[in-house]
Amino acid sequence: MASLGRVERARTYRCEGLTLRKAAIGEADLVVTVFTAEHGKVRAVAKGARRSTSRLVGHVEPLTLSQMSIARGRELDIISQAEVTDGFAGLKDDLTSVTRGLYVAELLDGFGPEDSPSPALFRLAVSVLSALPEASNPEVALRYFEFHLLRLNGMLPELYQCVECRQEVLPDAHRYSLNLGGVLCPACSPLEAQVRPLSLRAMKVLRLLHRGGLTRVSCLSINPQLSAELKSVLTGTVRYWLGKEVRSNVFLERLHSEDSQEAQRQT
Amino acid sequence: MTSDNLPSAAPSIARLVQELNRLPGIGPKSAQRLAYHIIRLPEEEAYALAEAVTAVKRNTIFCGQCQNLAESTPCSICADDRRARSIICVVEDPMDVLALERTRSFRGLYHVLHGVISPINGIGPDQLKLRELLARLAEPEVEELVVATNPTLEGEATAMYIQRNLTREDLRITRLARGLPVGGSLEHTDETTLTRAFQGRQEV
Repeated sequence: MASLGRVERARTYRCEGLTLRKAAIGEADLVVTVFTAEHGKVRAVAKGARRSTSRLVGHVEPLTLSQMSIARGRELDIISQAEVTDGFAGLKDDLTSVTRGLYVAELLDGFGPEDSPSPALFRLAVSVLSALPEASNPEVALRYFEFHLLRLNGMLPELYQCVECRQEVLPDAHRYSLNLGGVLCPACSPLEAQVRPLSLRAMKVLRLLHRGGLTRVSCLSINPQLSAELKSVLTGTVRYWLGKEVRSNVFLERLHSEDSQEAQRQT
Repeated sequence: MTSDNLPSAAPSIARLVQELNRLPGIGPKSAQRLAYHIIRLPEEEAYALAEAVTAVKRNTIFCGQCQNLAESTPCSICADDRRARSIICVVEDPMDVLALERTRSFRGLYHVLHGVISPINGIGPDQLKLRELLARLAEPEVEELVVATNPTLEGEATAMYIQRNLTREDLRITRLARGLPVGGSLEHTDETTLTRAFQGRQEV
């Protein structure tokens, strides 16, 4: 019975969770970080999940969406049951593709709130992970994720007014400030602004990321220079707010660099 | 744990607790329990433990060929003339070599990576013994590479990275079969494992 003045929380809860990362603990257990719509980011123990005969094995792998039963614990919750609902198999067939998925997971881990409902962020992550294998331009799909991750965390990039003087920006030589969170007009140059150049085409794509749907933007055909510009602005902003390097992005850039070296060798 | 947490403990006990607390899976309470257990041990047993820790650090080296932990290079497996030199099985950790050796079903050589690529944890190819593996695979006497990294996301990523960096087209690359474990059940098996078990079904 609930005591007066105190709301009892259910001892177990069911939820759909996207596993972000796992770490070994003890003889055969895992500590799993899961992102859920109802509870945000949850860290829970999957007991015995490193044994090949465990009922949890395979159901709590990173980048796997599972229906879970979780019991509340004193320090960490405990996953009592898990069943895969989407293993994102298409994402895991290719190294670059799986690294993009891990980039999404790492950003969710960095930005996702703990013990707080985050249905929009959950839907965004699942839709991007589902779209990545089929996307004709998966890098733009990642930019879409970064843009809306910032938006859902209250850091929507300002694309219409100068973040310093609040004047409407005109199709001119504007720039983007990572730390001030939006475009700067040519007249404003605050000393503290971490600035990146922003072409008119990049500005248009950023506005499309804001207004357009994921299906539309992930088919965009853009040249490598524009792609690099968008990455510099959005990945730079995400890194600025996170306060550290996004590790899976470092590996992703290495893979891109190895691919272009290989392409050069073949030509 | 620092000696401040054990105000009444003798400095040498506090130091032992502190050192034990550094070990994986050993929390402050366990470290304290272990320390007092060691104090109560007969003298020769305590010295034997200390000597074992010292000896393992003094004598253990990486085998120059397979990179496994050994007391000599080449290690006893690499030096064994009865083993096939044409086949190399790549594993994540030294413990995986022990597990495979227990099966007595593999008579080739090993290569130990000492980890797996884990981008989210900042572990890339340069932190592993991958360059040494690729150098070994360039030798024409090697005909087959058995990739025996764990069937986890990181294990698969490592396997894919090895594959994309191989330069020899005549090298046979195989991967350990994936499917149902002995003692497991279909009902509780995840979809990826079941799919692969189906794909790898065999004539009976």
